[in-house]
Amino acid sequence: MNPTVKLTLIMVLALEISFTQSITMNVILTLLGLIYLLIHRIRWQTLFYFLTIPGLFAAALVWSLLYQGTATNHFAGVIFSRMYAYVFLGGAFSLTTTPYQLAQSLEQNAHLPTKFVYGILAAVNMLPRIRREVATIRSAAQMRGVTLHFWSPVLYFKAILAALKWSENTAEAMTSHGYVEDTPRSHVITISISRCDYVTAVSLFILLQGILFLPVP
Amino acid sequence: MSHSSSWHLRSIILLALISLFFGVIFWVISPLYDVLTAILTPMGLAPFANEILIGVWCMAGPVAGYLLRIPVAAFLGEFIGAAVEMLLGSQWGASDLIAGAIQGVGSELGFTLTGYKRYNWGTLLLSAVTVTLVTFGWDMIKNGYGSYHLPLLLGLLAVRFLSNFFFGGVLTKAIVNLLDRAHVLGTGATPQN
Repeated sequence: MNPTVKLTLIMVLALEISFTQSITMNVILTLLGLIYLLIHRIRWQTLFYFLTIPGLFAAALVWSLLYQGTATNHFAGVIFSRMYAYVFLGGAFSLTTTPYQLAQSLEQNAHLPTKFVYGILAAVNMLPRIRREVATIRSAAQMRGVTLHFWSPVLYFKAILAALKWSENTAEAMTSHGYVEDTPRSHVITISISRCDYVTAVSLFILLQGILFLPVP
Repeated sequence: MSHSSSWHLRSIILLALISLFFGVIFWVISPLYDVLTAILTPMGLAPFANEILIGVWCMAGPVAGYLLRIPVAAFLGEFIGAAVEMLLGSQWGASDLIAGAIQGVGSELGFTLTGYKRYNWGTLLLSAVTVTLVTFGWDMIKNGYGSYHLPLLLGLLAVRFLSNFFFGGVLTKAIVNLLDRAHVLGTGATPQN
């Protein structure tokens, strides 16, 4: 499915279940997400992680709501199943789409200005370097006998200094390679939204609305 | 000048890099969140783990807003961080993106209320207040906070504000003070258009 269409559908559904209180709806969305992930053959390890970890946090929240609040069993069920629905809806997108695919689709289908698309993509591609830099900053301080915690301003200060330098360099590099803001670009790979994508997304959304009117919890 | 034209490639990369840096630093503390949740769960107080640390997750917003000083910077600082976290396969996926947008709106609102003119303690304090109120409202809906007894609810709200005040206010101010002393603020080193 086209990444923009998929993301829109998933976000609309995730937003919807934040306001509705249907356990059935949440369970069906979780199952749909699970099936979609199985079709895309995600790693068993990831699947196991997605199935167990959210359960622990959902259980902690539900226990708190029942113990410290006035939540009914139905409401507790809604909150618990809602968390799983979020996780599997999100997974159905993030585990099957790469940042590059999303960027291309947002540029060509959602017409997001290219400076945002390529600017953010350039930063995302620097992630391994960012990880290394944070480790370097911390060990450099360690060598002087200073431990930088997550509440130490110096840690963030040095990170921002690196970000200032890298953003300058990257923007210059992109410009010198011929990138011009706010000008039309040609594309090697064109991404389109097929009629099938629209039909699937809209009909799935409408079908799911039916669940809310069923006499089920 | 329209808001979109005040955004240049360099500011966008800077903003995204800052969100990513913060994301990587927060990644280090995620075991802390797990441990806090585990400790607080037997007493039925698990949400306090979230309240204590929420300021850390909401920090990219005020830092970006204060540094770049253009409208929507605080929102994008939060939102890009959440989007990247989702794309990298965070388990919270869809709710990450929604939460990022909500936190972004909350942080941004503080800067909007000053008309993007004043950048001082008051602005950061205001942003901490708005982000607390907006995200708390969202948790009332999403996580069912509405069903808590009033004293506990007020306790959660107070802890959330203190967390946002410390990380989004005190710590953010300390960071920008350092940047100021290094003469990288407002001297052309930060892209202010």
